[in-house]
Formats: sequence, C-alpha cells, structure tokens
Amino acid sequence: MKVEAHKVARLHAILWGIFSLGGMIAAFLLPVLIYLTAIAYPFNLWPFNGTRDPSFLITGHRLGALFIFVTIAGSLYHGIFRFQSALTEVGLIKYRRALEAVGYFVIFVGIIVLGYYLATWYLNGTIT
Amino acid sequence: MSQDIATIRVTRYRPEKDSKPYFQEYKVPYRHDMVVLDALNYIKAEMDGSLTYRWSCRMGVCGSCGANIDGEPKLTCASFLHDFKGRTITVEPMANFPVVKDLVVDMEDFMEKLVKIKPWIIREKETPPEQGEYKQSAQELERYSQFSSCINCMLCYAACPIYGLNEKFLGPAATALAYRYIEDSRDQGKDVRFPIVHEMEGVWECTLVGECSVVCPKGVDPMLAIQKAKILGATNAIKSILMPRGGR
Amino acid sequence: MGDNKRYPELRRRVSPGWWTASRHYAMYMVREWTSLFIAVYSLIFIYGLSLWATVSRANFLNFLKNPAIIGFSLAALVFTMYHAVTWFYLLGAISPIKIGRSKTKPWQALVLNLVLLVIVSYLAIWLLILR
Repeated sequence: MKVEAHKVARLHAILWGIFSLGGMIAAFLLPVLIYLTAIAYPFNLWPFNGTRDPSFLITGHRLGALFIFVTIAGSLYHGIFRFQSALTEVGLIKYRRALEAVGYFVIFVGIIVLGYYLATWYLNGTIT
Repeated sequence: MSQDIATIRVTRYRPEKDSKPYFQEYKVPYRHDMVVLDALNYIKAEMDGSLTYRWSCRMGVCGSCGANIDGEPKLTCASFLHDFKGRTITVEPMANFPVVKDLVVDMEDFMEKLVKIKPWIIREKETPPEQGEYKQSAQELERYSQFSSCINCMLCYAACPIYGLNEKFLGPAATALAYRYIEDSRDQGKDVRFPIVHEMEGVWECTLVGECSVVCPKGVDPMLAIQKAKILGATNAIKSILMPRGGR
Repeated sequence: MGDNKRYPELRRRVSPGWWTASRHYAMYMVREWTSLFIAVYSLIFIYGLSLWATVSRANFLNFLKNPAIIGFSLAALVFTMYHAVTWFYLLGAISPIKIGRSKTKPWQALVLNLVLLVIVSYLAIWLLILR
C-alpha cells in the first residue's frame, strides 16, 4: 500500500506541473484569444476590421491551429483542476474523489474533441 | 482622574464544567504601550486567576503565546492594544486546533509533524570530529537561513484554511522546516525527506492561500518554501520517469 | 501532554463560509473561482468548434456573435485578467531575481509580465491574423 501511495503522489506531482503550465498559458495566451473572439470580431475592431474572422485562426496558418490547441487545452486543464479544488474548499471536501474523477473526465473529453477537430483540419483541410 | 479602560473578551472553556465555550468580558486599565499579553496577565493577577493561557518570553521569540485576536492569528505579546480599533478586543484560542482549556490548544498534531520531517542534518556518512567542521559559504547559508527562523508559534496553521479543512495536511511550518534542511548544503537527506514532503498530504494540499506567510511573525515565508518544494517535487517526478535509473 | 485526556477537548469545525471572515480570504476565493470562467470559456469555445464541424463555419461565427456568448466571454476576460495579474504577482513572490545585493519585488514581476503579455498578444495577432 505504501508503494501505491508513493506512485499516486508522483502522478499528482506531474499533474500539478501540467496545471502550473496551464496557468502560464491561461495568463499569457487566453486574454488575446478572448479579445479576438468576443471583442474584435463582434464589434469589427482591429484586427477583424477587414475581411478576416476568427475562423482564420485555424484556416490561416498551421501555427494557428497549434495556438488554439495549446491555449484552450491548457486553460481547460488549469481551470478545471483549480475549480475542483475550490469546490472542496466550500464544503464539498467529502466528495473530493468524485469531483476529481468528474474533473479529469471533462478535461479528457474536452481535449480529445478539441484535438480531433484540429487534427481533422490539419490533415483534411476541412474541419468537418 | 478618569482612567482609560479596555474591554477584553476572552474565550472561556472549562471542560470539567462546561460543555460549550463562552465569552467572558474583563475591563482592564489601559496604557498606550500595553500588549494583549499584558492585559491577560493583569486579568489573571488581579481579577480572575482561573484564566488559562500560554506565554513565556513576552518578546516574540519563544512562540508560546499565539491566539486569534479579533479573528487574526497573532502573538499576544506582539499585539499592541492601540493597534486595534476601539477599546474592545476579542481573544480566542488559535483556530484549527482542538482546545484544551480557555486559550490553550492541543499542539500534539503539530509536534508530530515537526518530528516526522526529521529536523536534523542527515549525512550518508558522518565524518569524525577530528576532520573538522562541515564548511558552508555565506551564499550556501543564505539559501536556507530565512526558513530556519521559525519559532514554532503555529500562527501559520491557525491562518491556513486548508489545515482547518484537513488535519492531515503537513502544513506550513513543518514544510518550511523540511525545506530548510533540503536546502542546507550540509544535509544529504533528500531521499528521506522528499517522500514525506511530496506525499499527497504534503505540499500538494496547498492551494496558495498565502495567509501563512502574512501572519508569520518572523518572516519565514512558509508559502515560498511550499512552492519551491512543489517545483522540486514536479521536476523530480518527471526526472524519475524519464531517467528511472540515473540522474539526481 | 499524554494520552490521559480526562476531559473532552473542544473541536471547532470549519464552516463552508470560512472565507467570508476576512478580506484576504475573500479575495483568495475570488481568485480561485476565476478558474470556473476560464474552464467554461474553454468548453464554450470547443462547443463553437463543434458547430463548425457539424453544421457550418457560418454557424460558428454566428455563435460568436450571440449576445449571451459575448457577455459571458467579456466576464471571462475580466476574470482571466484577474487570474493573470495574481499569477504574475505570485511568480514574483516565488522567484525573485537577484540584482546585485537586492532582490526583485513581486510588483516588479507583475509589471514586467504585463508588458510581456502585451508583447505576446501582439505577436500572436501579427503571426496568426495579419500575415
């Protein structure tokens, strides 16, 4: 049982490392993405004051799809990891394991779906 | 001559008499240079000898007199009455610890954790005294000296909501002390301490509330020690997967 | 202090509202709950992409123009910036840089990283949209 605990702790250390990386991503890359999709595009502001729109982020350059993947996957991971710990702090500590399971499930599904769409675009030239 | 009066509301809990705690108010003559400990001592000497609390050095180095004053963990010997709004001050036992009587808390859990992290220099092989002392440069000392300032007052545990929610959490002071030894160039006990610090109830419970470092009377900054320990833990875990036999 | 506790100790439980006790705790809770907006925005974005994949690109773009989505995204932006600011400050507190005999302060790391954020954002727009 002691060996098991050590392995779980080691896994958690890595999960925390990814969470930390996600925090960097959410801090440095997410603001500009939200600006582009929720302010620049709906209100016709720079750089979407011409003909381009947010879909160009994926169709324009290879780097764009990578940017979307890193930003959304990193932010999703960080957000869910932290939110599930915040929930345990407001009285739900009893349901900790269940919250973690649900959290990681949502992260897993989210990243798979995101990766699938972006990979489809990358390989087929169309996101459908 | 009218005298300035301060009102001290103290938690009373006498397990042999009461099943519940209650507040008792005492009116104490106020001087500008009084600290809360002075008020408690006055109460015990002149008004109510049954009031029970810990104190010793009365100058902020022994770590005995921690309490929650107006809701914040503070040393009673270091809390001037004039720093609080109004002349009514509430003194409660330190949060997150079981109360034995009045303001005295049960320190058992904390003491166990201090011992658990093995707070002594661990060498792979001790060199005999004839070979002289273990030398350490000023830079090497600086890497850990801040974390060696801890007076074990436990205010950081009283301030930490995570410890309040989960008693198994190793906690700020114990982790800072473990980190003090991890960073000490004379110590060779990483193999022993890392598993303790990096277990699930070790640093991973911490969510960076940061109150521990805010209340620490000695500037130890346990939050910093925990964060650095987390980074060590994450890099170690990755290393142990990428290089299972090699590198440290 | 031995095991002979003849009288019961008082055990005080932490209530779910513990964080309302002080401003520090409340600001900490706000900081943690910004994560909800970050996570939900990410999920909304993925949902938007699924509209593109299953319906049409125009559908995705209309989705972005939905007032409710814009409203939520703006709130998410505010909270993401709050996350960024608190994150940069923490970076400064955890990894001060030694310059000569003194160390950098957290607010300096905050300013430096905010400048970096502006640079990175502009670079992203230049590399991905303007080119």
